[in-house]
Amino acid sequence: MTTIADELTIERRGHAGSVARRRTNFVIFLGPAIILTVLFFVVPVVIDVAVSFTDLSRSLRISEFTTEQYEKVFRTDRRLSQVIGLTFIYVFGTLAIFNVTFGLILAVATTAIRNASGSFFRGVWLLPRMSPSVLYILLWLWAVSPTEAGLINQVLMQAFGLDAPLDLLTSAPIALIIISNGFIGASMGMIIFTAAIRSIPEHLYHAAAVDGAGTFAKIRFITLPALRWPISFVTIYQTLSLLVSFEYILLLTKGGPFYDTTVYALYVYRRAFESGQYGYGAALALFLIVIGVVVALLGWRFFDMERLLQRPRIEVH
Amino acid sequence: MFHWKIGTAALLSAALIGGSAVFLAATPLFAQETVKLELWSRQDPSGPLRPGNLIKAAERLNKELAAEGTSKRVEVVVRESPAKGFDDDALQLLKVFGIGEGPDIFIAAHEWICAFQEDGFVLKLDDYIAKYPQHFGTIFPSLWSSAKCPDGTYAIPQDAEARMFFYNKKLLREAGYDAAFVDAMPERALSGDLTMDEVLEIAKQVVDKTKAQYGVLHRPNKGPDYIMVFQAYGSDFVDPETGKLLLERDKLAAAFGWFERGAKEGVIPANNTAMEFDALRKEFYTGNAAFFMYGIWDLGSVGFPTYGLPQDEKAFFADWGWIAGPAPKKGGSPVSLTHPIVYAIAADTKEPELAARLVGHASAADLNTDHAVTTTHLGIKPEQLEDPRYIKAWPLARATELLKITKFLPNNSQFAELNGIIYAGIQGIESGRLSAQKAADFVIEEASSTLEDVIVK
Repeated sequence: MTTIADELTIERRGHAGSVARRRTNFVIFLGPAIILTVLFFVVPVVIDVAVSFTDLSRSLRISEFTTEQYEKVFRTDRRLSQVIGLTFIYVFGTLAIFNVTFGLILAVATTAIRNASGSFFRGVWLLPRMSPSVLYILLWLWAVSPTEAGLINQVLMQAFGLDAPLDLLTSAPIALIIISNGFIGASMGMIIFTAAIRSIPEHLYHAAAVDGAGTFAKIRFITLPALRWPISFVTIYQTLSLLVSFEYILLLTKGGPFYDTTVYALYVYRRAFESGQYGYGAALALFLIVIGVVVALLGWRFFDMERLLQRPRIEVH
Repeated sequence: MFHWKIGTAALLSAALIGGSAVFLAATPLFAQETVKLELWSRQDPSGPLRPGNLIKAAERLNKELAAEGTSKRVEVVVRESPAKGFDDDALQLLKVFGIGEGPDIFIAAHEWICAFQEDGFVLKLDDYIAKYPQHFGTIFPSLWSSAKCPDGTYAIPQDAEARMFFYNKKLLREAGYDAAFVDAMPERALSGDLTMDEVLEIAKQVVDKTKAQYGVLHRPNKGPDYIMVFQAYGSDFVDPETGKLLLERDKLAAAFGWFERGAKEGVIPANNTAMEFDALRKEFYTGNAAFFMYGIWDLGSVGFPTYGLPQDEKAFFADWGWIAGPAPKKGGSPVSLTHPIVYAIAADTKEPELAARLVGHASAADLNTDHAVTTTHLGIKPEQLEDPRYIKAWPLARATELLKITKFLPNNSQFAELNGIIYAGIQGIESGRLSAQKAADFVIEEASSTLEDVIVK
């Protein structure tokens, strides 16, 4: 016969055991992720902050701790406003046209046709992502070459009778960086949206068909509502990815002509590594980190990600 | 058994005596001390003998050391950097020095030398130059200014060259200019009669009246050649009194104006700075451009071997030629630019004396001539001019004429960064983003905000 006190002791022991187990699980399951996050995010950010308060320049020597780099950012750098404006156009343009919208169109289109054909087209759209970036951009450079040998010029001149070859790298560089990045970015949205569309129960479409819904009504009232979570995720993830990636731009336009395609991340790179102004580059990079965190938090709020991440209250089987 | 023992003893004795003899004979070898001197050199097809001559020089130095009876011997260990240009290479090397992993000797473009001097990475060489006149005494006096920083000489000139406007005579004749006019252009440029704007006019005629697509092409990346245009319009970029960077708005705008007029006339392509270097060269050497602003060595590196330009002097000058950078207006001064590459020694090398002597041997006239004639660079010593191989390499002799009017890039530690800004200005103009005045304003704003101690007038 046990007394109430005994029961309480047992409960407390059980509770203590469960706390210990939870702690162990925490270390086992989250430990590696935490270590990686600390090593590759927290430590670099701390180093970046430290470097941004120094005069570290091309010979990697620090002679003083200073706020000079931040004064430069706010007072004397006249390129920054243009660079930030361009970055907004680039990120928003690539995201709106390709990474979300075109990715969605591809997913809807390739799931609406026969499975084999759909898989084939998805495979084709995945090719740019699978190609090494240098090879991908070399193909682009050939495509947009301002001579008659360029692919686009060949098509325009021979099929459409254009007189002189177009120089798209000079006349439309921003469109080019959006398109070249978008062709790669669209494939990620396509894969995620395709997976989400495939998980929508088939009977909903049959029920809609019985109710007289056409193709567009099915997309509007069944597919799109089911894609809210993937769209939110792709938007936030790709925004952050576009904010910090610049390798395709560097390879395609080198940030030019002039500063026309120098997005913020590339600007940081040019300042730090082409001019050897590492302290200044670190200060600029810090703002990129801040912008990234702010965008992620705003996206979280805007898309109500917290609610989306909750366990669904109704399971549809 | 007894016989076997005697045989064994004999064998052992022979081995012992032989071994001792070998050991004794080899003793001086063991006593030798090999000094490894690390050389930093960019992988550069336009000058493989820059490091190569230092390796050959080690043999000569070692013979000299043996004759002196010293036990030290020198071995050169080459560290090749894959940088695509001398600017990238210098930035990389500054970092390497910064973390204490610098080489003993390095090869650099001369305008970077004061950046190394400012950070205390490079050895002052005045004493060594005075101590070894047999190595350094006859180097052309004019070349030394490319190796100097405010308080002394920090490098040894390794070569020189000449930058010019190459031109395609055939295209000019096709455009309606008579042969006498075309052949007289080099002379007219040197006398100040041919002007920068006349070059644009001629180029315009070529573009309008022939199949050639381009009038004037220049390098599609940051570098020295286009600085000639700025020097022609009066910008020397350094205040002679203080040694600080000097930017004069009107002179900058005047030089940018030449690029602006060229771009507006369709003579300089809007995408010149976006072109691939090889593609751009091909346009000129295959007859699709009237002028190409570049340097003499390109004939040896690319023009002759890749595009089959005539290697015979007479045949070459029948259809090709070059002019100095013309004067901005009639009667003005023409320009040419030379961009020496230099040998420099690290301040912290443990063997400065040996390193200096090694560089001295690498600067020998015959070795330098090997480099000069195989890569079409100009020599550093007058005695090279007598070498039959040098005389036979006619582009060198002909380009030497330009040395009378040649200038250098300023040896200012920040010039390389300023040059990047100037290049961005040219790109802004040619692609239609900036006017000449705006480009001058851009250079001044950008330089004032990112560089230190810039004097603006």
